[in-house]
Amino acid sequence: MTPSKLVFKNLTRRKGRFLFTLLGIMIGMASFVTFMALGGSLKSQIEKESAALGANLVVTPKGSCAYEQVSILTGEQLPTNITRDEVAAIRSIDGMQAIPYLAERSAIDNRPVSVMGILPEETRVFKKWNLAQGGYFPAEDSEGVVLGAVLAEQFGLLPGSDVRIRGANLKVLGILEETGGKDDLTVFLSLPVAQNLYEQIDLVSYVAVRVDRLDEVELYANKIKDKVSLGVVSDKQMRSSVLAIVGTVNMTLQLIAAVAILAAAFGIVNTMMTATYERKREIGILQAMGATRYGVFRLFLIESGIYGLIGGIGGAVLGGLAAVFATPYISQNAATSFVKGSQSSLDPIMFAGAILFSTLVAMVAGLYPAIKASKLSPVEAISYE
Amino acid sequence: MSDPVMTAKGLVKEYGKGATLVKALRGVDLDIPRGSFTCIVGPSGHGKSTLMHLLGGLDHPTSGTVIIDGQEMFRLGNKELAALRANKIGFVFQFFNLLQSLTARENIETALMLAGVSEKEQKTRAKDLLDIVGLGEKADAKPGQLSGGQQQRVAIARALANDPPVLLMDEPTGNLDSEAEAEVMKVLENLKQQGKTVVFVTHSHEIAARADNLVHVRDGQIQLPHDLKIAS
Repeated sequence: MTPSKLVFKNLTRRKGRFLFTLLGIMIGMASFVTFMALGGSLKSQIEKESAALGANLVVTPKGSCAYEQVSILTGEQLPTNITRDEVAAIRSIDGMQAIPYLAERSAIDNRPVSVMGILPEETRVFKKWNLAQGGYFPAEDSEGVVLGAVLAEQFGLLPGSDVRIRGANLKVLGILEETGGKDDLTVFLSLPVAQNLYEQIDLVSYVAVRVDRLDEVELYANKIKDKVSLGVVSDKQMRSSVLAIVGTVNMTLQLIAAVAILAAAFGIVNTMMTATYERKREIGILQAMGATRYGVFRLFLIESGIYGLIGGIGGAVLGGLAAVFATPYISQNAATSFVKGSQSSLDPIMFAGAILFSTLVAMVAGLYPAIKASKLSPVEAISYE
Repeated sequence: MSDPVMTAKGLVKEYGKGATLVKALRGVDLDIPRGSFTCIVGPSGHGKSTLMHLLGGLDHPTSGTVIIDGQEMFRLGNKELAALRANKIGFVFQFFNLLQSLTARENIETALMLAGVSEKEQKTRAKDLLDIVGLGEKADAKPGQLSGGQQQRVAIARALANDPPVLLMDEPTGNLDSEAEAEVMKVLENLKQQGKTVVFVTHSHEIAARADNLVHVRDGQIQLPHDLKIAS
């Protein structure tokens, strides 16, 4: 016999109670791990998208708020308030490249997809795209579409296939190589075709700007503001404001999960208190056999710690699985569609941390019952009926 | 009879205060000779069990002391007192008090574990002890699968686990039928022959008649033989 075997025997003697208490902490930890993994995934994806944008500045319609900034990074439909004249004014500034985009939405097989109107050649160079299959837009106003790699695979589309966008049948010209970003999930059209289809003649959603000299980003932001009455935001500002939103959302979700863990911790307190009362006589017997007060305290504390350890491991596995399997479903939501192409951030350190946290929480929850058990007088405990 | 293995001096135990004050023991002096079969007898509620608890270091007296193997029990800290209970005293209770979730063997192994015996040695000794009490084949049975007499024999084997110099038994046959009582008494007879010191609380005149040291407790005091004559 060893203390750990004794603890295990005690844990499993009431299998139902053991299981339900364990489920409590497991569910709490699973939700915590899921939110952490998804939060981490959102954060890293936003950073990736921001880099993939290839721009130092983004020109948005005046009064554009954080939602629009999120949408630029996530490929959502955006108001098209930037006119051709404004685009021309921005593009006339020397020392920088300015690429306009028309961001729209459509559906293929009833599933929402991002549609982007682009200036084919400039965008291809700007984004350093390579083609995986087929060809590219032969001219700046060519009919047809070029698809992101993941989207083409999802819908089984190949060069030569037909895609229906806003009632128009368009040929798939080619498929891009995978970029790891939202471009993989986007249908690209030439800007004039997109403007026609969406009846946004001469209008675009935003303009991505890359300046030649990184130390002059601020200067160019002011130059743009002098020329047009539009919002100008640097990629860093955009990233930090989007990350701040994501951070707040993450924190809120994690707080909800923390409440679940707290409730589970009280479940452990309840289970261990019940065990203390139920095993009062046994505690007395152990003391009569030579168990010290600390020995009894340790047995009960280990017992509650094991709830946390097993619950933490189970919760981390469940949470990890939920994060992986929830990702495609979450991506059905328009606001998070870009998660589809990404992996949940399953960080081993996060798993280890979650298991450690769960064990600690359970041990703290077990402190009071363990102290109660260790303070029982042997005579009182043995005489307990 | 040889030197005492255990001595109680001026043991007083009081519960409560003021109007609710109960004097369970009123100054008990007692010597338990080494190798003796001592029976403590007396009416219910007169302090027999309290005396056993104090002799076993399960409770602290209001005043007085108990010395076992030259060690003054109540001067010890909690840890040392627990070690003393593990190594120098074996308890057997009326209601067996086996750990219900453990098998007979594991109950004995737990007592050995608490005395710091290695897991390998625990297994060997637990098997030997169960053989001694005639329950070698019931090693893997849980208390619920054993009869009262068998449970009490496991409890005796557990009490013997660390080969303590003294066995304290609080009415160990009080909850058994005569057949089971005979089983237990047979085991105790063997222990007596081996020279083990046994202190036995009982209401049974038959068992008391086998004692080589009889202690009468009445109103929290030891009654001397001439007091007994007056009382009778």
